[in-house]
Amino acid sequence: MRYLSHLVEVLGREPSPVERHAFEVAWSEHCGYSHTRAYISRLPGVSREVNAGVVELGEGLVCVFKIESHNHPSAVEPYNGAATGVGGIIRDVLAMGVRPVAILDSLHMHRVIDGIVAGIGDYGNAIGVPTVGGQLRVSSRFRHNPLVNAMALGVGRGSEVVPSRATSPDQVIVVFGGLTGRDGIHGASFASRDLSGEHERINIQVGDPFAEKLLIEAFLQMRSEGLVDGAQDLGAGGVLMATCELMGKGGLGGTVHLDAVPLREPDMEGWEVLLSESQERMAVVTTPDRAGRVLEIAREHMLYGAVVARLDRSGLYRAVFGGEVLLEVPVRALLEAPAEEALEVSPPPLSSLRVSFGFEDESAAPIFSRYDYMVGNDTVLPPGLGPAVLRVKGSRRGVAVCVHSREDLAESSPYWASFVALFEACRKLVSVGARPVGVTDGLNYGDPDVDPLGLALTMRGLEDACRQLGLPVVSGNASLYNTFEGTPIPPTLIVGAVGAVEDVYGVSRRPPRGKVFRVGFEGFDPSREARVWRGMEVLRDRGCFLMAPSSFPSATLRDVLRSMGLSLKVLRPIPRGFDQTFLAVSPEGELEGLDLPWEEVGEIS
Amino acid sequence: MRSLDVAVVVYPGSNCDRDMFYALELSGFRPRFVGLKGELRGYPVIAVPGGFSYGDYLRPGAVAAREEISHRIREEAERGALVLGVCNGFQILVEMGLLPGALLQNEDGLFSCRWVDLLVEDASTPFTRCYRPGQRISLPIANGFGRYYRGGGDVRVVMRYVHDVNGSEEGIAAVANEAGNVLGMMPHPERACEEILGGTDGIALFRSMMEHLSSLL
Repeated sequence: MRYLSHLVEVLGREPSPVERHAFEVAWSEHCGYSHTRAYISRLPGVSREVNAGVVELGEGLVCVFKIESHNHPSAVEPYNGAATGVGGIIRDVLAMGVRPVAILDSLHMHRVIDGIVAGIGDYGNAIGVPTVGGQLRVSSRFRHNPLVNAMALGVGRGSEVVPSRATSPDQVIVVFGGLTGRDGIHGASFASRDLSGEHERINIQVGDPFAEKLLIEAFLQMRSEGLVDGAQDLGAGGVLMATCELMGKGGLGGTVHLDAVPLREPDMEGWEVLLSESQERMAVVTTPDRAGRVLEIAREHMLYGAVVARLDRSGLYRAVFGGEVLLEVPVRALLEAPAEEALEVSPPPLSSLRVSFGFEDESAAPIFSRYDYMVGNDTVLPPGLGPAVLRVKGSRRGVAVCVHSREDLAESSPYWASFVALFEACRKLVSVGARPVGVTDGLNYGDPDVDPLGLALTMRGLEDACRQLGLPVVSGNASLYNTFEGTPIPPTLIVGAVGAVEDVYGVSRRPPRGKVFRVGFEGFDPSREARVWRGMEVLRDRGCFLMAPSSFPSATLRDVLRSMGLSLKVLRPIPRGFDQTFLAVSPEGELEGLDLPWEEVGEIS
Repeated sequence: MRSLDVAVVVYPGSNCDRDMFYALELSGFRPRFVGLKGELRGYPVIAVPGGFSYGDYLRPGAVAAREEISHRIREEAERGALVLGVCNGFQILVEMGLLPGALLQNEDGLFSCRWVDLLVEDASTPFTRCYRPGQRISLPIANGFGRYYRGGGDVRVVMRYVHDVNGSEEGIAAVANEAGNVLGMMPHPERACEEILGGTDGIALFRSMMEHLSSLL
């Protein structure tokens, strides 16, 4: 176990076998963020005290969102790995008290792996949350380490948001959802290792989207009946992490009765119940007098539940099984994983930046159609033309969202790859008339012990770009050790960017027929970005349809236009670079009187 | 006088229930959600929405079709109530035997979500009277098991796909019972009632039901 000596120091003695299991999970990179915590704390606007971050959309509306990776499980078992990735991120958003309204997926693979696409589709389609967009990057760089990142987004009223902690020793914690089995034990520590080892399959969880759908409806009913004082989904580290986070963030302690947890496999050991990562479960903080109703709602939705923890002021995490105390340690010790120190780096010169590898021009359109992107009746801008745009019923407001990354720049400069990725993601939002309001970061990286500098630069680039654009990073995820026999993936920082749309009825759903112009500056100079945004505003007001792709044309764009009965003629292709440009489809010919350079690159007819 | 109340039946796992509710309300109806233990008696219209009832486990619609509430749907259909089954709702009505045929996995084995063109073949049903016979319309589909199989029997075809989308026999997309008061369709009219969502060809279906109800006054 990593950090074993540190654990001996914290406990003041040798850990028991159960304590070793517990701390191995709690202090895994996946749960404890040992290598990234110092960098995360420097990001503007970060509060990692909640399941998913919250931004305001105006009129009392809020948007809750987070991105999460499921790389290691998807590499070993593509279908269930990807499916449970979707399930997990949905519950993160749900735990905040709002209805999940959209999923996006970012896929990096050496070829389109059908199991991954099917896993995401079958899960998302069945739970009735539309998969509204995503990113497909095909390159041999990801042959052994496919990256599967899923982002979920919830929209609701600010008053609906529930805290991610307990607040009083008079409260109890209910765990409800599917039954608990042996699946996924030590999944969190598995996700924090090189992938060339054997015997990996044992750690994969299996998804049950039907149970997830019931869980969503049951939880939202509990919330609307005012029964939920706090909530946490059960993800990595299962009962252990969910209950200790609810206690710890409230400055409390408590006793977890593992015998109460409804089991699928009745002969499970206590430590297995504690660490099982069985899917489709949530923890709800409520009071003893309301717990009965919580359990009743769970039963009405064909789910299982029990009061599993009572809280106190001890500050101790106590787990009891079969009349024996299995674990008794300070809550804070579990939550305060050892943190590696941050490396101090300064921005490298822009001159180091170049594109170091390309992607296959694989169309994402056949993937988009395998996802129900419309369910919910809110999808205004369908996948393939830029960010997804969703309306909020009962309002003129909407939300725009995209996932984007520039790992093709990261081998030359991890700093500028992050920086450019954030700027480009925001340019995409602005292209549909949205005002960027927040970011979630999905860091996918190789081995931070071998290359700590690349990690520091990747995170610093994100930090500086966010500061420059005045954007908070409201949530995020770090997947490290994406290596195979020691070879890392390129540093891949996936930006999930969210924008507020003031008048969603003003967003055009399809490009007009007309000339396609490329507008903006060659090269990259952050100080010019504001002018590019102003140019986009001017052209949108003139009736142009705007897009901000990283290259032109693409197989995806051609397919999407074809499905709309449009065809594309290319006068001048634009290779992947990092120019500060966007595309404007103008129904009325030339772009007179524009204060930016422009050239004609094609025509849509 | 018959009311404008519509029962939207919610099975565990239904996920287009709220969209159906929304479109009905937009069209001037008074929708109500009715769960497994709910009451259907007296509703002039019953909508069975899409989604994944019981997770589509076993076979799409198979478990839901055997629920008590499904027997209540049959009773109300026999009393003349309008029953609209969309997507998984269609699959449930077929599994119940309220509509003929079967819905098989799409020919390419894949889930498919997109807008498709359809022809309204029978504009005389209470669900289609506001369309013109032969009218070409566009509605979204979103299913993995939408391939209609007639099974040799006579079928009252209400809509057909203009192009082959999933291998459905004779391009059949929507069918009605003989009396015309039960309609099953794979395309989603409730997703096509607003310009902002990409099309409005679904409105006429809801308006048809409304006109039919007023004609009974």
